Amino acid sequence: MSRKKIKLILLALILVGAIVAVYIYKEVNRKPVDTASTKPDFVNTALFYLEEFQQLDSVAGKKYNDKLLQVEGMVKEVSKNERGFYTVSLGDSSSMSSVRCSIDSASSNNASELIKGSVVIIKGICSGYNADELLGSDLILVRCYINK
Amino acid sequence: MNTKKLLLVVMVAFSLQSNAQRFFTKGGEIFFNATSPASPEKIEAVNKSVVCVVDSKTGAIQFSVLMKGFEFHSALMQEHFNENYVESEKFPSAVFKGQISNNEIVNYNKDGVYTVNVKGKLTIHGVTKDVESNGKLAVKDGKINASAEFNIVLKDYSISIPALVAEQVAKIASIKVACSLELLKN
Repeated sequence: MSRKKIKLILLALILVGAIVAVYIYKEVNRKPVDTASTKPDFVNTALFYLEEFQQLDSVAGKKYNDKLLQVEGMVKEVSKNERGFYTVSLGDSSSMSSVRCSIDSASSNNASELIKGSVVIIKGICSGYNADELLGSDLILVRCYINK
Repeated sequence: MNTKKLLLVVMVAFSLQSNAQRFFTKGGEIFFNATSPASPEKIEAVNKSVVCVVDSKTGAIQFSVLMKGFEFHSALMQEHFNENYVESEKFPSAVFKGQISNNEIVNYNKDGVYTVNVKGKLTIHGVTKDVESNGKLAVKDGKINASAEFNIVLKDYSISIPALVAEQVAKIASIKVACSLELLKN
């Protein structure tokens, strides 16, 4: 094998190695989806999503879990936990069930300004449906961003 | 008062009393940490949508949490957690059902801090194991702050870590629970 060929093979190996290293670095440091800037996979009202899960949560779960949902709904409750994180519940105030949105820290200021009974649009990642007869069943969204 | 009316009053009173015994939250937190000394970065996550119900009369306590609700700082870590380790599609939630074994020491009607012992069954990844832990119940202004810390051996719940990264993930994960519960009113 000529020296030229060996050089070419070495160069190719270094190039492949560099590409793999960059890919691994990017994957390891990949951040979760930025819900503020990402286009939602689904756009609908809180009541619509809740109804779909109430009908057959396994089917709705396959459709919505891990997807970015945009939800429009009436604010039922805004709660702040001891570490300062907000959760906003959307839905019908006469029902125990809600779309519970765990607000991303970047959107905390907007959450503190929300008024009970107002209508708001929130985007968040669907993490599933908590079916509970005693407390009411909830659709859970995480890393939520409040549209101004 | 005739018998029917008396029965109705007794039923309503009983119903009010039994509801007044329950405290709940839908926004409790569970912190998960499986960082090992060889981990290149922290392997930790938080779930802020923990459902918890405590029956003050019987001491029964229950937690449930959606596994996909754990938030990691790294997307790759979160994907591995859900897809390879706890298989969230197949086993979407973790549940604890147990009992405060020294419930008689807690006065739910009076402010105070109580160290309680909780025993029960924890189901993760489709596997149910007995767990026991000490925790704290702080009663203040009619609300309860419940907190506990305990460890779980991942292998006990059939959570297997690939050999390639086995040293980088702790074999025993620490779990912290923090819930602020309020009276359940129906």
